[in-house]
Amino acid sequence: MKTVSKPKRSDVQQAVRDLQSRTLAPIERPLDRLIYLASTRDYNTGLYRHDGLSVRYSSAVACEALADCHRDAFQQLLRCSVKELVLQLEGYMHSARIDAAEFFKSWNKLEPYRVAVPVDTEPLASDFLCCNLKTALAILENRLTRIPAAPIAWPHQSPAQ
Amino acid sequence: MYQLVLLLFVGALFVAFSLVVAVRASGPEGGAESLVRARQSLTQLQTDLLAVDVVQRFSSADDYEFVASSAPADVNALFRRERKKIMLAWIKQIRRQIYDLLGFHLGAGRFYTQLSVRSELSLALDFGGLLLTCRALQMLVYFAGPLVAPRLVGATAATGLRICAISERALAFLTAPDTPIERSIAS
Repeated sequence: MKTVSKPKRSDVQQAVRDLQSRTLAPIERPLDRLIYLASTRDYNTGLYRHDGLSVRYSSAVACEALADCHRDAFQQLLRCSVKELVLQLEGYMHSARIDAAEFFKSWNKLEPYRVAVPVDTEPLASDFLCCNLKTALAILENRLTRIPAAPIAWPHQSPAQ
Repeated sequence: MYQLVLLLFVGALFVAFSLVVAVRASGPEGGAESLVRARQSLTQLQTDLLAVDVVQRFSSADDYEFVASSAPADVNALFRRERKKIMLAWIKQIRRQIYDLLGFHLGAGRFYTQLSVRSELSLALDFGGLLLTCRALQMLVYFAGPLVAPRLVGATAATGLRICAISERALAFLTAPDTPIERSIAS
């Protein structure tokens, strides 16, 4: 990550509270938070960007606050069981309104959770989460593809009709 | 003849001992590098490798039971293989960090800390016990799978944290202003 001038810790903490109460509050699931926060990171520089926060504080403070929340979401996800991860994946899939088959195809191929981990994450922790997410994805896929779609129930017509 | 063999044996022992002393004396004991490495190892052990909830998650049987009951056989097998690999890497990393801390206590630690003989002995026993436990755990996980000894995992983490607590006291001078060195300089 490119180095920027170190912002004051108190400013960062204030920006974190701001971010949590405004932007992150409606995003309940740690998985959704992780994906969202990873998407605010520039892949070329490793710096996080958030226009609203940058205007209110400064780019450096916003970057640090987003990085803090990203690490936090990762730690929360790391402590989730596989069962919880299945539920989170299902919730994420539904909230993104993507076709299940398409979702499984792209997640199995691209494995987006691998690039969503914060910088400086302990490789062991990253491997552990990826293993859990991969398994949760397989379980969800198995569950959703095994259950056949319910046949459309036509209203029963009585012989009199 | 017997006396000559004995004399040669004692001579060889003396030469070996002198070599060991010479090699150890040539190292930069008390150097900043070993202090920094010990501090990094300590932080990594406390926050990443031995954090109670992470260790519980690593060794929890819930995930295995859930995956066994809900995933197809090939996914279950892959999950177990991956977890075993991660568990072995976890133990290996703990051993590496513990060796770094051991290096600090045998070298630089003696310059900066004044541990009582009792604490030194207890620490030596903890280090030895932890390294042995790690090795035993490594063998068990390798041959019998990652779920084989959750109690041993708990014991490893507990001993590791005890060593971390002692090492933290030994390394406190890096952060706290009231250190034995500063006190001795002041007096």
